[in-house]
Amino acid sequence: MIITEFNPKEKYKYLNKLGDALLQCIACGDCREATDYTANPQKWGVCVARDHTSGFEPYFGRGKMQIIRSLWQGKLELSKDMAEVIFQCPTCNACAEACAYEMDNALFYEALRAELVDAGCGLEAHIPMNQAMVELFNPYQRDNKQKNNWLKNLDFKVKNASTEQAEVLYFVGCTAALTPEIQKVAINTAKVLHKLGVDFSVFGEHEVCCGSVAMRTGNRHAFNSVAIKNYELFKKSGVKTIITSCAGCYRTLKVDYTDFLEELGIQVLHSIEFIKTILKDKNVSLKNLGITVTYHDPCHTGRNAGVNPLYEEPREFLSKIANLNEMKTIKENAKCCGAGGGLKKGFPDLALEIAKSRVKEAEDTGAEYLVSICPFCFRNLNDAIKAFNSDIKMIDLLELLDLALS
Amino acid sequence: MGLVLILNFKLDNLIIKMSKIEAIYKEIEKIVGTNYITDKDFMKAAYSRNVDPAFPDRWPDIIVRPENTQEISEIMKAANKYKIPMVPRGGGADLVGGAAIQGGILLDLTRMNKIIEINEHDFYCEVECGVTWGALLSNLYEKGLTTGVLGPGSGYSATIGGALSNSTAGFGSTKYGLVPDICLGVEVVLPNPQGTIIRTGAAANKFAKPFCRYGVAPDFTGLFMGDVGVMGIKTKAFLRLYPNSPYKIQKNYILNKNDYKIVYKLMYTLQKEVREGLHDLYINPRVVIQLLASQAERKPPKRAKISGPVFMFILEAFDEKILDIYVDKVHKIMIKDNSARIFEWQEIDLNEMLAKNWKLNFKFPYSYFNKFVALAPPKISCTTCHKIPISVIDDKKKLNNLFDNEHRGEFPSQSFSLFARSIHLLPNGHCVFAGGFNAENADDQRQVAMNIWHKKLRSQVKYGGVHYWLGEAISQSIVEADAYTPEFLQFFKDLKKVLDPNFLLSPNKFHMYSYDNNISRYIVKDEN
Repeated sequence: MIITEFNPKEKYKYLNKLGDALLQCIACGDCREATDYTANPQKWGVCVARDHTSGFEPYFGRGKMQIIRSLWQGKLELSKDMAEVIFQCPTCNACAEACAYEMDNALFYEALRAELVDAGCGLEAHIPMNQAMVELFNPYQRDNKQKNNWLKNLDFKVKNASTEQAEVLYFVGCTAALTPEIQKVAINTAKVLHKLGVDFSVFGEHEVCCGSVAMRTGNRHAFNSVAIKNYELFKKSGVKTIITSCAGCYRTLKVDYTDFLEELGIQVLHSIEFIKTILKDKNVSLKNLGITVTYHDPCHTGRNAGVNPLYEEPREFLSKIANLNEMKTIKENAKCCGAGGGLKKGFPDLALEIAKSRVKEAEDTGAEYLVSICPFCFRNLNDAIKAFNSDIKMIDLLELLDLALS
Repeated sequence: MGLVLILNFKLDNLIIKMSKIEAIYKEIEKIVGTNYITDKDFMKAAYSRNVDPAFPDRWPDIIVRPENTQEISEIMKAANKYKIPMVPRGGGADLVGGAAIQGGILLDLTRMNKIIEINEHDFYCEVECGVTWGALLSNLYEKGLTTGVLGPGSGYSATIGGALSNSTAGFGSTKYGLVPDICLGVEVVLPNPQGTIIRTGAAANKFAKPFCRYGVAPDFTGLFMGDVGVMGIKTKAFLRLYPNSPYKIQKNYILNKNDYKIVYKLMYTLQKEVREGLHDLYINPRVVIQLLASQAERKPPKRAKISGPVFMFILEAFDEKILDIYVDKVHKIMIKDNSARIFEWQEIDLNEMLAKNWKLNFKFPYSYFNKFVALAPPKISCTTCHKIPISVIDDKKKLNNLFDNEHRGEFPSQSFSLFARSIHLLPNGHCVFAGGFNAENADDQRQVAMNIWHKKLRSQVKYGGVHYWLGEAISQSIVEADAYTPEFLQFFKDLKKVLDPNFLLSPNKFHMYSYDNNISRYIVKDEN
């Protein structure tokens, strides 16, 4: 009989990349709720997944970190049961915000998910989505040609990034391009850029998914597959500035693609960052629309966005064009909408319950409109609005900007 | 043949135990519902430790998240029926092995987190014991109220029940005392076969509101304070409230000499002359200041002169003029005889805040100890926090240092031991030596750490130190030090037996493993 010594570095290659930090968590539990009236902004709870599930430790940060430690120390094996809980998390990283030792928790969860997927324990619900990403270049299992559809709503021509040079590339993202009720995010982004005289292009049917959902759901094979294709596309196009109106794409391009975008000398901006600069340069004023709004911070433009999270830019716009009533939890302490991290696909009921809480928070402000800058947040929050039959209306900031520029 | 018999006997016992676990699982599942009970391995791993990596992992058989007192009572009945041990767990921020169990049932009480009443008119509140300090105080601060003592340094995570079970001190303790000092009574599920529910304090009078602690009956509340979960499961607490003073200020002084006789004299004078104004007095020993200076994120160009311990004051008043008087009195006391000078933390780290810009927010008390819990995590942290009279500070500091020197070779390699990371003044004339040592978080260091930890605790017990968050490590060390008289131990056992006849609740603490075992066998003899 051959007895092989347990070597976690060989067994867990994704966790291994995180090094000594794997055992960094001292298990203080601040990631559970850490309520703080005296914080600025105030903190009213941390983990939305825990709040809407049975709440056992693995549903929030500390339990996940203890599981990782136990795996690393050879005391536990990966399992489908474990995956069922580990994937019930939107990877919103509110736990990292609460962490006294400044851990980047979502990195650990994503690595654990990658281990689970590689061990054959990933969620069944995520398989077709990631397979479609590799084969069809979008996770919605649609013909990628449908990514051209939204362009038909424009009364001007947009450059094709595959064949034409432009000042900036607008990376539309799969959700805005392929979800009929959210296509207006893409349409309004294009309209605003056009109004401001920006020379921009899109890939249309040739746009390849950024791979965000693959990365969040632990499918590194699918992620690497689309990332390589994007690298080639970007390199060939010669683009130097990419803008996007999707928080998920923004975070993925800005954070997960850092290395190769640096190599290509490409900067990534959310469209509102870019538009802010253009408005300032061209001294364009915005009309006040006389409406009352509240603003939802997407996790991928905030806590997960790395350096310079976009907390102030949307608020600067909204303060000019509307009356902004803030929710109880905002900015780095904002509650997540519940869509991300593969949660909406894997556990739609849980994602909806989390979104309902966020919509309730929005309703409490008395606002007519709930504004965001993420098509995926838009989709989940809008689902909750419908489920509630709420009077509040979901709207993307780009739509308001288009109106304010009229 | 003998070995086969023994193995068969053990196997039979295991099968009996497993069938009992399966049976109780089904019963508890009916009580709490399928979603709130688990026996999955990865769940057990997630509950195998608290902030106490000196202990080996301990996996319970079953973990339950009950919703209310009645459910706990029913669980208790089932536990008695099947004779399954149980341990309650609050925030799991424990450092001393208090809320983990090998086998048996672990009750995660954090689902019981409702604030039932905040009575602004009569200054008390009623809460479920699983509510955190951060959550309770956030709701109180909104109304201009406070509990005075702000709970333990882990207050974002730690629960009210855990702080009561550990007789915790925290920020505010200089003025408002320990957490049990603000407790007006508790609701408890007794670990008996009936799962009896009782209320103590004024609430023992079923016609009375829970507004005071003493009078209705003997102070049975005290039976459950600092009990580390061995006497009952606290489900609700009634707590005293105070108006939150609008004027608080931080002031810091550094002593011109590293002299603990002066430290005592100053503490005495401050307690005698400033008393009401002292929300907190924390004293950081010189070695801690040197350590912090060496770890500074942004070091000042000129190296600070660290001549002695730093006194950090939080002063409070309800009137700005009175606060000014307190500030003036403290200043005069501190600079008299050239004892100290004003100190700013920026002298050692430019990223630190100036005292004039300081505000009491929760992050301050709840992150104050983080840098000390694990000097550079991940580490094992073996706490030795204990109380002593202020007049013996100098002697006890020397005894601690002597112990560390004499046993230098027995600490884990690269361990760093401090008699006190801070000294915290408490009401009347005593203080906390909040100290301990650390080690690498590695399996091969755990037993080494545990051995010297117990030994050091025993030495402190023997010089008259009074520990408080006892958990497993410290309660056992007190027994090992032969601190309890046989009469006291018998009294303790007799009391527990009345409440917990089947010996199910929180075994191992105080070296109690059954009512039959002779606790005196754990006394460590021939130890100076």
